Amino acid sequence: MTVGVRSLRSSMRAVVGDLLRFSRPHLRQQTLRFSTASVARAENELATPTDAADEPPSTWEQSRDKTRLVPVSPSYFTGSPGFYDNWLALQELLRKYQTLPTVTMDEAPPAKWKTLAQYRGIVGTSVKAARYKKICNVLDRLNCINPALIPHEVSNALDMYRREVSQVESQAKPAVLDHLGRARGVGRRKTSVARVLLAEGNGEVLVNGAPLAAIFERLHDRESAVFPLLATGRMDKYNVWATVMGGGKTGQAEALTLGIARALLVHEPALKPALRRAGVVTRDPRMVERKKPGHVKARKMPTWVKR
Amino acid sequence: MIIRRALIRGSRLMQSPLRSFVRGLGTHPQSDLSQGKHLPEHSQTPGNPENGFKKRPIDEGNPMTLKDEFEMLQKFRKSTGTLGTRIAPHYKPHAAAAHPPAPQDITLELLLAAGAHLGHSTSLWNPGNQRYIFGIRQGIHIISLEQTAAHLRRAAKVVEGVARNGGLVLFVGSRQGQDRCVVEAAKRAGGCHLFEKWVPGTITNGSRIVGAGAVIEKDFSDRENPKGPIENADPIRPDLVVCLNPLENYIMLHECASTNIPTIGVIDTDADPTWVTYPIPANDDSLRCTQLIAGILGRAAEAGRLARIAKAETQL
Repeated sequence: MTVGVRSLRSSMRAVVGDLLRFSRPHLRQQTLRFSTASVARAENELATPTDAADEPPSTWEQSRDKTRLVPVSPSYFTGSPGFYDNWLALQELLRKYQTLPTVTMDEAPPAKWKTLAQYRGIVGTSVKAARYKKICNVLDRLNCINPALIPHEVSNALDMYRREVSQVESQAKPAVLDHLGRARGVGRRKTSVARVLLAEGNGEVLVNGAPLAAIFERLHDRESAVFPLLATGRMDKYNVWATVMGGGKTGQAEALTLGIARALLVHEPALKPALRRAGVVTRDPRMVERKKPGHVKARKMPTWVKR
Repeated sequence: MIIRRALIRGSRLMQSPLRSFVRGLGTHPQSDLSQGKHLPEHSQTPGNPENGFKKRPIDEGNPMTLKDEFEMLQKFRKSTGTLGTRIAPHYKPHAAAAHPPAPQDITLELLLAAGAHLGHSTSLWNPGNQRYIFGIRQGIHIISLEQTAAHLRRAAKVVEGVARNGGLVLFVGSRQGQDRCVVEAAKRAGGCHLFEKWVPGTITNGSRIVGAGAVIEKDFSDRENPKGPIENADPIRPDLVVCLNPLENYIMLHECASTNIPTIGVIDTDADPTWVTYPIPANDDSLRCTQLIAGILGRAAEAGRLARIAKAETQL
């Protein structure tokens, strides 16, 4: 019956590493250790004599017959105590302040919460995405409390989960021409990859060092390869230098399409609506479907036999 | 007319400030009712100590903020919110969760009101529960509330004893709506809670599943070792498990049985009573019933814990 109760004072000296304290009930940190127990204990025995000499005798040191080992968190048996403690603390806050007037999500102050990866880094890897989403929902609801009436308790709790968004990092780096006035573009289709350099010129196109007609025998492929320039009427205004590898001829041609379109957008970003209407802005996601067991090919099934 | 006469005779109501209100109950078209003079506010003056709240004088240079207005609204609601129909005492789920009854308050009426007597269809029963069944009504088995009360009191004694001896009690209730009562009961007991799925292997494979959890040394007056949590501690096992839905948590009960951990469970007419050490025959499908049982056992554990702390303090 009394499995967890045993006398420990003679055998155990607690280790001080990173302490988990109840002073931060809303966000609990866990650090994982990888040293073996015996090594850790040896290090502690070296450390404790000096510590014991300096500290004054505390009340814990007075003679006590029995002690027992108990979990720090009441969510110990859930497997992810850090997450559940945070969840319960937020639920309690919500219950306490659920009658306060709220505003709509649009009127509420904009807030970005920590990403799952960041939260896992704090609490532990055992947190599932669906569970963290529940926490984010509660945070959104708490954030909707009228800002004039929001208690300090709630705003402190929300600040713990807020993601620090640096304006500099969140802005995308604008693509620029290099020192020779060339724009880079990468296009992919099926397993083909095309790397394109587009510069102002008179309309020459070289693919893997050879002219377009030498690489692509089919007229359709040649047309589709330079379709962005054809559709916008800039065939004679730019020069193309491209290296393309992987896949087959048509795949390579389509990859070139996308690569040239992206490079052209660096030169003239205003062309985006026109290129989108031409259908060259989206990367075609279709790939060869795998063969499945029980089928002859990806979809084809063997002949059905009645018996 | 009849009402007015009755009220005039019932002279208790004739004291101000309600007199004007009573006068307003007349059927005369030119009565004070139509001119709005029946409203209590008209008879009150600002700053009158009869008021439930102090009215803030309107100050154009310093207008009231939203916070001030809200505070005033709260005060107004507090003072006037109780006016009106007197509602008879009734079941309030949030109050029941926050202030559950104690084992001394177990009565058959309480269990009946919670619906603890309602079993399952007679065709779905487990014959091992025969001794707990009172009879059949409308195609379902009715659980004997005397049995329920007796087993609940016994379970409360067990929980209190374990808490008194410093044991760890785990409250488990994985159905929707059982999370709050389980957490509250664990808080009272100083134990642990679980309101989602039990991970198989939590006891038999503890080092993998709960091994990362922090563990600390505490004495019998619940004071912690100032050195803090222990590194690389062995996984802890509960000393007693209270399960509100044994049918869903049969794996956990099996693990407890194989590792000699006593269990308490709410056993419905279709559940197997041999799965737990101390069955409580009751309706596990009623949230009110399971919350009541969790509350009672939480209170019992709280009593045991406080007794332990008091004893340890006196032995200092």
